[in-house]
Amino acid sequence: MFINWKLREINLKIVYYGPALSGKTTNLQYIHAKTNPNIRGEMVSLKTRGDRTIYFDFLQLELGQIAGLKPRFNLYTVPGQVYYVGSRKLVLQGADGVVFVADSQWNRMKANVDMIRNMEHNLREMGHTQNGIPLVLQCNKRDLPAIAPVKLIRHQLGCNGAPCFESMATQGEGVFDTLKAIINLVVNQAQQHI
Amino acid sequence: MRANFALPVDMADQIEQILVSLHRMAEAECVMLADISGQLISVHGGLEEGDPALVAALAAGDVAAMVELSRQIGEESPSCSLLHEGKHKSIYMHNVANGFVLLVVYGSGTLVGMVRLFAGRAVEKLEALAVEFEELVDQPGAPASVDFGAALADELEKAFGEF
Repeated sequence: MFINWKLREINLKIVYYGPALSGKTTNLQYIHAKTNPNIRGEMVSLKTRGDRTIYFDFLQLELGQIAGLKPRFNLYTVPGQVYYVGSRKLVLQGADGVVFVADSQWNRMKANVDMIRNMEHNLREMGHTQNGIPLVLQCNKRDLPAIAPVKLIRHQLGCNGAPCFESMATQGEGVFDTLKAIINLVVNQAQQHI
Repeated sequence: MRANFALPVDMADQIEQILVSLHRMAEAECVMLADISGQLISVHGGLEEGDPALVAALAAGDVAAMVELSRQIGEESPSCSLLHEGKHKSIYMHNVANGFVLLVVYGSGTLVGMVRLFAGRAVEKLEALAVEFEELVDQPGAPASVDFGAALADELEKAFGEF
């Protein structure tokens, strides 16, 4: 969190983390498409020629003045492919909250678990204690046929304490519920600094 | 790791003075300071196109990646600069105290040597400020007079409630 008292701005960074093709970029694309242009900036995606995220996606949301401060939320995604481990760590730097986008399909359970362990490892290296950073779990692709129960996904990922939302990001279902939940968690934690 | 920090008005003024001076002396179009996580701290001058918040996020990622690249090839100094020379617009970036990024955007009529020279001086001044800045990390600010979280939740409902 960064507060600029001169400009009366509060900047918060939220990172969408998860395995490859779990729907992180789709979340941001939907938010960008449905949000009033007056409160959002341009969305940028650094992609490969194969349309996969190579570094990050970025979208800034800026709400009007609240209690004399102007909140800005910087939304990032990380690249999900295994070999972009270094890029994920860079994007995670300075995060105030994380949305873990899990792929609900049975055959992606191991990828989900590997990626959340990678996230926990990176956070520990950055000095975060366990449960020290606000986390929301999003179980995406609930419209697909071969999906695991949400309870099992939460258990396997060790996210039983985090708020959890079922989603179909391609249709927007659950996208804004997830966003509101992480913003509220992040702001509640930041409140002591305001 | 930098976590929470609040920039007091007097320090914001000092940063602005450094950026204003750099902007004038280097004949730059725009200068900005961001932190390494991509948060835009201060900007002076303007971009003809582009959003400073977006530019800051990309610059921070670029510099952080270059610092890591340097480390991978055995370079021990964390000091790092990057130069992109375009046909009409160019960008010079330099990390500051390994936690911030100074970015200079300049046009084809500006000499890169001038940009490097004055950016180097600005980096020295900013590094001195960064020492004070680090002491502000995780220091709580003044308590809010109203419940910011509750007010924000109302605003979020207004902005996204229909979804």
